[in-house]
Amino acid sequence: MATILYHGEPNGPSLAVLAALGESGLDIACQPIDLLKGERHTLPQVTEPVARDMGVEGEGPVLVIDGEAMTESVFIAQYLDEAGANTLQPKDAHAHWQMLMWCRRITERAAPAAAFLGCQASAHDALAAMDEADFAALTDAIASEDLRHRWVAVRAGDFPEGPCADSVTKVSDAVKMVDDQLADGREWLMGPLTIADFETYGWLAGMTAVVPDAFAGKDRAAAWMERVRARPSVQAALARATMSNPEASWAPGPEINRWG
Amino acid sequence: MTDITLYHWEPNANSGKPMLALMEKGVKFDSHYIDMLNFDQHKPEYLAINPQGTIPAMTHGSRVLVESTAIMEYVNEAFDGPDLMPADPRDRWRVRWWMKFMDQWLAPSFSMFGWKFFVGPNALKAHGQEKIEAQIEQIPLPERRTAWRKAVFGLFSEAEMAESGRRIDVGIKMLEAELAKREWLASDQYSLADVNGFNLAYAMPLSQPHLSNDEVTPNIMRWLRAIYRRPATRECWKLGRTPMASRVEILEQDYIPPRDEAEGIASGVR
Repeated sequence: MATILYHGEPNGPSLAVLAALGESGLDIACQPIDLLKGERHTLPQVTEPVARDMGVEGEGPVLVIDGEAMTESVFIAQYLDEAGANTLQPKDAHAHWQMLMWCRRITERAAPAAAFLGCQASAHDALAAMDEADFAALTDAIASEDLRHRWVAVRAGDFPEGPCADSVTKVSDAVKMVDDQLADGREWLMGPLTIADFETYGWLAGMTAVVPDAFAGKDRAAAWMERVRARPSVQAALARATMSNPEASWAPGPEINRWG
Repeated sequence: MTDITLYHWEPNANSGKPMLALMEKGVKFDSHYIDMLNFDQHKPEYLAINPQGTIPAMTHGSRVLVESTAIMEYVNEAFDGPDLMPADPRDRWRVRWWMKFMDQWLAPSFSMFGWKFFVGPNALKAHGQEKIEAQIEQIPLPERRTAWRKAVFGLFSEAEMAESGRRIDVGIKMLEAELAKREWLASDQYSLADVNGFNLAYAMPLSQPHLSNDEVTPNIMRWLRAIYRRPATRECWKLGRTPMASRVEILEQDYIPPRDEAEGIASGVR
């Protein structure tokens, strides 16, 4: 069975999936790609591209198995866990529901905000510097019309005040949610280590530099981030970085909720 | 009496998902109908159960569960009965992927039409402008306040409606292509993805008659009729109280020809 994990720099959803892979004990080939060069859209030997093309997450890692492109970092992490060591999801139905609800709050609220602010800080300059023909070639390969629009907006520097302020709020809310969750002295977000820790850390790690105020006085959250970062699976993921500061690596992510 | 109560509106969209999942599992539950057009979901007795004022919610003993797809996953794991998730991890991934795609990308586009043509006008007709403005002020979640305001006062922009229309077109073609690959949406076994998808798609031949019919989407029609034939689906849709739920009866027709888009709009429950 031909299996390969294509991932960006160890940040955001790529970091979450690489960490889950490390915990799973599975031996899967990893191939770094440059998400900001659109390399995800021209992967070789993808015969079932629908999840790659239409995934809600935007530019994240892609696990290709027998030609089928699998996306969405939480679900790839669940796959790796269930195919491997099976240690990252609560067995109790209610605890599992709590983990899934936590991950949804991160992917639906914090992730679009982090990707928006991260792209403003770190992706806009690179895309703005591309010449017209190269950028057109990149976006022509993107199947999803709304994802293509997010690329165009990042290149154009279209970061309106309203969504910027809302994104800062959403990142701050997520940090507070982490800090509050840890108030009872627990080590990890759900008690035992789960996918929620990696998914949350992945999206928030790069925000310490972009929205420093969100982290001010959040000592429990800060200590938890250190614990996640120290985890061997996360260290192994970070060792795959091809740049000195992978937390500053961003590409267009999930869209901000259209309903407001 | 059971120790499970489901608070739901019509068997449709989000409410219908846990209703149908419970019935497929054969789990007995107390059904508590929340009349969304009467703003039952924002009344103190319901907010005491779900402070966010969203439907559906389920109580199981002292536990309160919210968010329709997550409730379905809980129902499947917590109770005996047929497993509504496949065993193979890759099939499970596909179930989850399709549910997220439908929940976050496709369903909000359908519901923009549903709210503009059905929920908003009917709520306004029933309550009048003054009362409805006061009701909207009581809604706990700011994004739901925005949605209600837009629906009731017809504030969805042309660009928003056009984008929703585009997504519905793309999404229907994606569903048709996927259902051409296998019997069920995400794996070879009936799963939560089918329960989810049916709640999104059962009325498409009525609401989108130009995009979904036996000529252009034969696999979607085969799939919808197969789910409609299941005893759990029949039981579930009996809990509907408005014309919205009775739309499901279109699936009794053996052949549904293409019709103009205008006929879908005229059906009033688009």
